Amino acid sequence: MSELAIRRGAAPALAVRGLTYTYPQAPQPALEDVSLEVAPGEFVLLAGRSASGKSTLLKAACGLVPHFHGGEIEGEVRVADLDAIAAGPGELAAAVGYLAQDPETQVVSTTVAAEIELPLEMRGDAPADRARAVEEVALALAIPHLLTRAVDTLSGGELQRVALAAALVTRPRLILLDEPTSQLDPVAGDELIWLLRRLNEEWGVAVLLAEHRLERCLAAADRVIAMDAGRLSFDGPPADFLVWSRDNDPALETPAARLFSLAGIDPLPTGVREARQTLRGTGAGPPPHSTCSGGALAAVRDSAAREVQAVRRGSGPRLSEGVLEAANLWVELDQGEDPRDVLKGVELAIHRGEQVALMGRNGAGKSTLLRTAAGLHGPAAGKLQVDSIALLTQNPSDYLVRERVGDELPSDEGMAALRVVGLEAKVDADPRDLSGGERQRLALAIALAGRMEGEELPGLVALDEPTRGMDHARKGELVRLVERLAERGSAVVVATHDVEFASEFADRVVLLGDGVVIADGPMAEILSGGWYFATEVARVLDLPGVVTPEQGAAALREEGF
Amino acid sequence: MKSRFAYQPRPRPLQLASPGAAVAYLGAIVAVAFLYSNPLVLVAAGVAAAVAGLLAGARPAVRLALRMGFALGLLIVVVNALVVNRGETVLARLGEWPLFGRVDVTLEAIVAGLSGGLRAVVTIVAAAVYSACIDPDRVLRSLRPLAGRSALTATLVSRLVPVAAADAARLRDAARLRGPSAAVVGRAPLARRLLSGSLDRAVDVAATLELRGYSLDAPAARNRRARSRYDRRFYAVAVLVLAAAVAGKTLGADDFQTYPSVAIGLGPATLAVSALVALSGLTPLRRKPKRRRPAADGTKTSLYGPKSSGRRGPREVARV
Repeated sequence: MSELAIRRGAAPALAVRGLTYTYPQAPQPALEDVSLEVAPGEFVLLAGRSASGKSTLLKAACGLVPHFHGGEIEGEVRVADLDAIAAGPGELAAAVGYLAQDPETQVVSTTVAAEIELPLEMRGDAPADRARAVEEVALALAIPHLLTRAVDTLSGGELQRVALAAALVTRPRLILLDEPTSQLDPVAGDELIWLLRRLNEEWGVAVLLAEHRLERCLAAADRVIAMDAGRLSFDGPPADFLVWSRDNDPALETPAARLFSLAGIDPLPTGVREARQTLRGTGAGPPPHSTCSGGALAAVRDSAAREVQAVRRGSGPRLSEGVLEAANLWVELDQGEDPRDVLKGVELAIHRGEQVALMGRNGAGKSTLLRTAAGLHGPAAGKLQVDSIALLTQNPSDYLVRERVGDELPSDEGMAALRVVGLEAKVDADPRDLSGGERQRLALAIALAGRMEGEELPGLVALDEPTRGMDHARKGELVRLVERLAERGSAVVVATHDVEFASEFADRVVLLGDGVVIADGPMAEILSGGWYFATEVARVLDLPGVVTPEQGAAALREEGF
Repeated sequence: MKSRFAYQPRPRPLQLASPGAAVAYLGAIVAVAFLYSNPLVLVAAGVAAAVAGLLAGARPAVRLALRMGFALGLLIVVVNALVVNRGETVLARLGEWPLFGRVDVTLEAIVAGLSGGLRAVVTIVAAAVYSACIDPDRVLRSLRPLAGRSALTATLVSRLVPVAAADAARLRDAARLRGPSAAVVGRAPLARRLLSGSLDRAVDVAATLELRGYSLDAPAARNRRARSRYDRRFYAVAVLVLAAAVAGKTLGADDFQTYPSVAIGLGPATLAVSALVALSGLTPLRRKPKRRRPAADGTKTSLYGPKSSGRRGPREVARV
């Protein structure tokens, strides 16, 4: 097929037929009889639980499978009419771009301009063509100001944009993205999704996006493909997907769809805008900005507000002994050339039994606060008093250095910690054979070992970004673990970007902005009082204190739906 | 934490110059240090390397390199003083030492060690300036047409070194955060874990390189980059410094004797070479564009000539 025909959209951006693939030495296939097509200029969302085959499908579409990973493959994969199984990733690079989860390992150059220019240089483009392409892609992604920067000075969101620019600079017909927002804060995550939509519309590039946080990108998608155990389980428009997920796999439901399901409202909304339009059309609602002062919705709002005030006054059930008290806490980090204040006078007190979500954009100081509490950094000024603390950092695998669970935790105190996280039966297992959630619990047990007095937990258990790359089911397990720890007397502080997860486990939210506490209060108040740091239900209903689908459905039912 | 020796892009002449020109310039300074033993010339070379780094904005790298260089230089002086018994001016007789035998500390041995130490300082400072100011990507890409596999390996290593350093820092933090009753993590398990993690990282980086088309054989001629307007300056200074160093050497500018007694030549040739080498450190100086003075009658003149003319006079075009 001619280049012109491909550009005009005669050939699908991606065509997969009967694809079955097994990784080397794997007992079963990662993909089984997968067939699908992505049309030129289509925006397709790839949904599914962890290990359902999403990443493998993306790798097959860019040639990494089987060329880079090996294994056995059957079937056909064509990208813009190129045979992806016969051609290697290098030859496919002009037709397909690929963006993975971790931006750190996707940059190979020292400066941003060099990183973006690399694929063109490898292709042998003339310097003038390269300069123009770099300029244009930088303008499209709003990063011209970053071109002269060193890549190791960029934030996670900036780095992800640079990696996206390097993937797009060859003007590919298809861009593949594997959970690109998992390490980004809500602001940067939303911006990236809408940037993709804009590129999709203006450049006509087809997008195949694998994501767990469907509420973030469903509204931007033309079509959804769901995968389960290496097979396609659904392929259709977003609205149909919501009905299918409600009936077949509720773990894939978005909060707004669940809100409507619980309230018995049809059709299920793909996003906030659609939900508000539906509610307006049915006369339900408060949107765009609730000013309701009477009726059932107002009653729900008043009730929620009373609850919020009760927690704020400290008459809630669990406020007791302080386990972390920071007064005018300043922390300076030396980043090589420019030591800078990361925490700037933080005032914070956390008590036993509290479940606290520590939120804020990338670089706001969340991790630094937890690391300072754990003694990894020293305060530059101010006071910090911490009861015993167990901190689990962002990469649980960093804690696992032995080849047997029991060898990581040899003593009685270690066994007690294993019991706390529910892994006592896995004492003889190899940590590498544990699931992602189990490895996380084992790492937590390692942090807890010896910090418990008998069966009593340390005053503070802190988890730093524990939900990266987690599907909804695994997040549910984590919520239950947090609740168990809090019930046993620990204060649990979780630094997270995941607003929906925070709404499920937290009773208090501390919002950091550029090293200072900019909001601190009951979860329902904080997560219903903003735009970026608000749940999808809160954005739909705009009712103070109403953040979860269950609360929202109750409010709507009271209104008469 | 980012290393102070890590490359930092800045709009300064040394960073903007092509790698060949910058390497020729810094290489000329290091060559002087290896050609000469005269402490005055070595000090001048050290001053040149440090000043070049400071003008290029690599102050933290220069400071750290000076600290490291002086520490190593001191070690060389001490070791030389302890192991070399030659020289007429004995400062201390320390008797018989195991392994060392008879130890007499002489002024000549100290001065000889000082010369070696200064050479180490110059080399370390110049290497630090190279590391902090010259884009490794540009160096590697200029090598790619000559040695593709070596350039690929070097690219992988140059990317993996900071990634592995970050991984090592994370693993150390995780080891510190283990509960007191968890198994103690020694260096061996930590190193094993780092190695296995680095292999995974290497696979990821290699996959990215593959996706960027690194395995393709790009036409070498098309990868030629535009030269910088500073190239000529750096090449000229490099040639001048090397020529002066060689000429000075033949004219006796390296007049320096350590044994049996110290004699440091400070003749005109030595002073001239030292002055020239020290002044070469000013090469990365960024000249500010000249501002045109207002005309005598107080009216302002445009960079592109009088407004009324409507045409750009060739002499009035600013050099940018």
